[in-house]
Amino acid sequence: MKIKTILVGCLLVLGSIQIATAQDDLQDILDREQNKTSDYVSPAFKMTRVAFGHSTEVRNQGVLELFTATRFWNFPGDRSESFVADKVTTRIALEYGITDRLSFGVGGTTFDGLFDGYLKYNLVSQNKGEKNNPFNITLFQGASYNSSSIPNPLVADDFSDRLGYTTQLLVSRRFSPKFSFQVAPTFVHKSLGLSNADNNNFFALGFGARYKLGPHLELVSEYYRTLNPIDSFNTYDPFAIGVNWEVGDILIQLMLTNTRNMVEDTFITQTRNNFNFKDPNLHFGFNATYVFHLSNKLKKK
Amino acid sequence: MNKLTLIVLLLFGLGITSNSKKVIARQGQVSFFSYTSVENIKAENNQVLSIIDLEEGTIAVDMLMNAFVFEKALMREHFNESYIETDIYPKATFNGRIEGFDAQQQGTQVKIIKGAFTMRGVTKDIEIKTKIENNNGGYMLSGTFETFVKDYNINIPPLLAGNIAKSIEVNFKFEYQPYEN
Repeated sequence: MKIKTILVGCLLVLGSIQIATAQDDLQDILDREQNKTSDYVSPAFKMTRVAFGHSTEVRNQGVLELFTATRFWNFPGDRSESFVADKVTTRIALEYGITDRLSFGVGGTTFDGLFDGYLKYNLVSQNKGEKNNPFNITLFQGASYNSSSIPNPLVADDFSDRLGYTTQLLVSRRFSPKFSFQVAPTFVHKSLGLSNADNNNFFALGFGARYKLGPHLELVSEYYRTLNPIDSFNTYDPFAIGVNWEVGDILIQLMLTNTRNMVEDTFITQTRNNFNFKDPNLHFGFNATYVFHLSNKLKKK
Repeated sequence: MNKLTLIVLLLFGLGITSNSKKVIARQGQVSFFSYTSVENIKAENNQVLSIIDLEEGTIAVDMLMNAFVFEKALMREHFNESYIETDIYPKATFNGRIEGFDAQQQGTQVKIIKGAFTMRGVTKDIEIKTKIENNNGGYMLSGTFETFVKDYNINIPPLLAGNIAKSIEVNFKFEYQPYEN
């Protein structure tokens, strides 16, 4: 009788263990199966710009972005009669995803009278798993037309003289869920210099980084090093530090920077203030993007 | 002594059932909908894994959250980066049991599945009414249930509170085939 009770007890214990392991087994089998599937890695940067310069991120097909960027700064001096800020410049642009990898944009800036356009092509997206790509690689080609009046009669200013071109190879990697880094070798051809003595071709190296502060907020910083700056004026390397904030279809970037120009060829070669907190060197920057989805399909990417 | 033999036999029998027949679904479909007056959000995942132990009546589901695709392209990025945080919580899983499941019964049966659903590190006990179809061993499970966003500590900015429904409708459909070890 006693033996029977013990054995029944043993049976019950064994039975329950087996049921428990059966549950775990199912999950283990699925864990093994799961390793064969998805390789999606979230983009290194959430927005198409790090701060003032482009990031590797491109928009999907049918996504239209209305992009507005403003920079505010003050003149030096004790007294100022201006409302909010002494000077303001605005760039308004439309940017559209032609395919999931190719996007283009056109825009105009008030302060320097630059009209610009670009094409951006995402060559490689970061992936893990079978197609293991450690980097995002995006090609950028931009062109700009300078419409501002040029008082110096010695400077040739035909249509072709007013054009500027920027070619960039943007390479980024999402190192961890919080941290991404970008390197951007850049070539700029600027037909119109600040004086005739200046060279027209420039090489620069851009660096950008992102650190995620919270689910919707990230800290960003960007810097471009111009390797052969112009001689006729003192120019400085553009730098920015700021936060990017995302609320659904509205993307907002706030930054402190030393560049007031917003088109690549100009801010890389002709930033004439260094980064410090004195007027007129400190610029407060505000970029707001509104996203329209023009084709609402479930995407199989 | 006879009783002892019987018990040994019983144990032996239990040993056999632990190697019992399983069926697996590798391309299960899970979709979810959020309906509000401001915005409708729809997403779909076609790579959900599920397995059923036919004799035990146990079921497990395993899905990668970053495999969800959205009607609005940018939402996938927001979903992964800002809401589910798939870098930290890549998966959602379900472990449960089909109550009163009869694997042999042909045709359609409607059963309750009771189990634990885990997402974003939060585990909730849920019950799902499920339609089970059996065509000569080809099993298909489908159903709908509602789940609450607040249960999973998902951070929604107050500005967007009107865009995301408090209760999310989840639909699922799994087609199973025999699983060989």
